Amino acid sequence: MNFSFSDDQVLLKNSVRAALDEQCKPAHVRAMFDDPKGFGDALWGEMAKLGWLGLPFPEEQGGAGLGLVELALVLEEMGRAAYPGPFFATVVLGGLGLMLGGSDAQKDKWLSAIASGKARATAALVEEQLDWDPASTTATVEKSGSGWTISGLKRFVPWAHVADVVLVPARSPEGLSLFLVDPKSAGVTVAPMVGIDLATRWSEMRLDKVAVGGDAIVGQPGTAGPVVEALLRRAAVMSSAEMLGAARRCLDMSVEYAKVREQFGQPIGSYQAIRHRCAEMLLEAENAHAAVYYAAWALTAGAEDAAVASSICKSYVNEAARKVCGDAIQVHGGIGFTWEYDLHLYMKRAKGLEPLYGDTEYHRELITRHVTSSR
Amino acid sequence: MDLNYTPEDIAFRKQVRTWLEQNLPKTDIRTLDDRLAWHRKLFGAGYLGMGWPKQYGGGGARPMEQAIVADEMARVNAPAPTNGLGLGIVGPTIVVHGTDAQKRRYLKKILSAEELWCQLYSEPNAGSDLAALRTSAVDEGDHFVVNGQKIWTSAGAIADFGLLLARTDTKVAKHKGISCFLMNMRQPGVDVRPLKQITGSSEFCEVFMTNARVEKADQIGKLGEGWAIAQTTLGYERGGRALARVTNYASQHGKLTEVAKRMRRHGKPLIEDPLVRQKLGRIWAEIEVERYQALRTLTLLERGEHPGAGGSLTKLSYSELEKRYMELALEILGPYGQLTQGAPKDLQLEIDTAVGERGSWAYAYLWSRAGTIYAGSSEIQKNVIGERILGLPKESRADRVGGKA
Repeated sequence: MNFSFSDDQVLLKNSVRAALDEQCKPAHVRAMFDDPKGFGDALWGEMAKLGWLGLPFPEEQGGAGLGLVELALVLEEMGRAAYPGPFFATVVLGGLGLMLGGSDAQKDKWLSAIASGKARATAALVEEQLDWDPASTTATVEKSGSGWTISGLKRFVPWAHVADVVLVPARSPEGLSLFLVDPKSAGVTVAPMVGIDLATRWSEMRLDKVAVGGDAIVGQPGTAGPVVEALLRRAAVMSSAEMLGAARRCLDMSVEYAKVREQFGQPIGSYQAIRHRCAEMLLEAENAHAAVYYAAWALTAGAEDAAVASSICKSYVNEAARKVCGDAIQVHGGIGFTWEYDLHLYMKRAKGLEPLYGDTEYHRELITRHVTSSR
Repeated sequence: MDLNYTPEDIAFRKQVRTWLEQNLPKTDIRTLDDRLAWHRKLFGAGYLGMGWPKQYGGGGARPMEQAIVADEMARVNAPAPTNGLGLGIVGPTIVVHGTDAQKRRYLKKILSAEELWCQLYSEPNAGSDLAALRTSAVDEGDHFVVNGQKIWTSAGAIADFGLLLARTDTKVAKHKGISCFLMNMRQPGVDVRPLKQITGSSEFCEVFMTNARVEKADQIGKLGEGWAIAQTTLGYERGGRALARVTNYASQHGKLTEVAKRMRRHGKPLIEDPLVRQKLGRIWAEIEVERYQALRTLTLLERGEHPGAGGSLTKLSYSELEKRYMELALEILGPYGQLTQGAPKDLQLEIDTAVGERGSWAYAYLWSRAGTIYAGSSEIQKNVIGERILGLPKESRADRVGGKA
C-alpha cells in the first residue's frame, strides 16, 4: 500500500506546472476570452509534443500508456492555471470514450490523430433536462441503408465548436447506442452557450436527421449504456482533478494575500477569523486531493469500489471546491470581486465543472444505492 | 501509487482475524478485572506496543501491522485494551524521550497493564492555553515537590502513575518554564476525584496535588523541555488508529441504514425519502474520504516520517465529522437515539467509544462533543494549521507582549 506519487509522477506534475506557468499565464487565459476559437494553437502543439494529448492512450496508438492518476495530475495543473482549451474534452471525453468502447479501427484513426495534435474530440453527454443518467437519453437513431440517421438536442457540450468528432449517445430500438458524429455534417447545428467561465466553451448541439455511416457506431447497437456510464465516471473524477487544481490556486492566493494585506495594523492572516478560514480551506483541499487520487487509482486498477469511489470523489470535490473558492473571495474582500484580479478565473473554472458529469446530489444518490445494495 | 495491500499485509490481516475469532471474549466485559484479562490476552498475542523496541517488550512492528490489528479489532467490535493512555501517549513519550533506566522500569509494565497510567496536563485555568499551567514542581535536592490541580484526567481513578506537566521556572517565558515528570499517583499528597460528564459517567477526574513527591529519576527530558515534549506526544497515536476509526464509522453506517429501512415517515420507509438518502450518501462519502486520508497517513508512517502539524488536519477532520455524523444518527433514530435505557435490541448501538466504554447511540452522540475539545480544540488545531502549515503570521496576543513568549 502506497498512497504517494512515484518519482515519475512528481516529475510529470512539475513539468506540467513549469510549462503552464510559462505558457498559460493569466494574461493568456484572458486573451482567449475574446478569441473566436478560445484556445491557442501554439500551446496545443506544445502539448502534443510533450505527450500530454496521448497520455492515457496505448502506445500502439501514439499514446504514452499512462493511467488516470497521471492524467489527473495533468488536469489538476490545468485547473490551477485555468487552462483555456479543449484538452479535457478531447483527451477525457473523446479519447477515454473511444478507449472504452471504440473498435480497433476507430481507435487507430482517432487516438493517434488526437495524440499528435491533429484532431480534437468531445462528447455530448447531457440533454435539455440535465439528467446525467444515460438511461434518460431521448435523442433517437434510426437505421438508414448501411448507416444511421440521428436526431436530438444535446446541451453543454464542451468545445464542440472546434471538435472534429463528437461522441453522441442516442436511443435505437435495441437500446442506448453511441455514435461518432462530425459536427460539420449536414443537419448538425452548433450554437455557443456562454457561461461565466469564459475560458471554457460550451455549445448546444442540435442534430436534425444527421446521416452517419455504418462505421460510425461505437460498439454494437444497444450496448452503449455501460460504456457511457464508465465514461461519465472518468469524466467525474477527471473534472474533480481540475476543480481541485482551481481550488488549490484559490487557497494559495488567499494565504499569500492574508500574509501581506494589513488592516487594523496587522496582516489579516494573524486574525483567527481569517486564519481559521484558511485552515478549513486547506482541510477541504487535502480531503479533495485524497478523493481525487483514490478514485483515479481505483478506476485505473479496476478496484471493486471504483464506481462508488468516483461518485464519492465528485460529490465531495464539488462541495470542497465551492467552499474553498468561495471562501477565497471572502478572504480577499473587495479586490477578490474585481475583474482585474485573477481570482475569479479559478473560481469560475471550478464553478463551471460543479454541475457537469453528475452534480452533487446525483452522485450522492448513486453512493446510497451502492451502500444499500452491497449490504 | 498502489493502494492494494501487499500479500504480507493480507496474510497478517488473516492471522489477526483468526486470532480474534478464537479469542474474542464471548461475554460482555463489565469489570476492570475482565478488561485487564482481555488486555493481557492481547499483550500475550503481541498486539500491544507493537511499534515499541523489542528489548523493552515491544514488537518492533511496522505501522501498517499496528493499523491492521486496530482495524480488525474494530471490525469485530472488540473491546479496547485498558491502559489506553499508557499505550497511546505515555509509552511512546518514554520511548522517545526517556532514559534507558526509565524505559526498563516502566515500559513492560505499561504493556502488561501491571501499572495503569493517566495524563496530568490540563488545569482549570489552562485548557486551550495549556502553557499557562500553574502546577509547580520545586526542586528539593533529591526530589521535586508538586503542588497544584489538574482536570480532565482520563483514567485518573484507576491510574497508578501519571505523566505530569508542571512549572519548574516562573521567571522565563511561559512555554520555557515547564518540565515533564512521571508521578506516582498512589501517595498521600495525591487526591483523585471523579468528574461527572454530560454523559452521566465519569471517565475523567480532577487531581489535587498537595506536597506530592516526584523522584529526580522520574524527570523526562531536561528541565524546561516539558512543552516541547508535550507537543510531540499529542500526535503519537493519531495515524495508527485512523483506519480503525473509519471501520467503526462504517459499521455504524450499516446499522443506520437498517434503521432507515424500518422507520417510516408519511407512510413510507425512511430509506425511500430522497433527503435521507442524500444525507446517508453524503456522510458515507465523508467517511470514505477519512479512510483515504488514513491510507495517506499510513504511507508517511511506513516511510518513517512523522505527520507533524499534518496531525492537526487529521484530528480536526475526524472530530468534526464525528459530530456531524452523530447528529445525523440521532435524526434518523428519532427519540430512539436518545434512549439510555429500554431501547429495543435492534435499535441499540454497542460500540467502543474513545475511552473504551461500551455504550448506546445516546452515549456516542454525547461523546462526539468531546472530540473537538480534548487534545487541542478545533480552534487550536486551526491555529496550528494556519501558523505551521500555511505559514500565516502569529496573532498579537496579550501573553506575547513584551517578548515573554
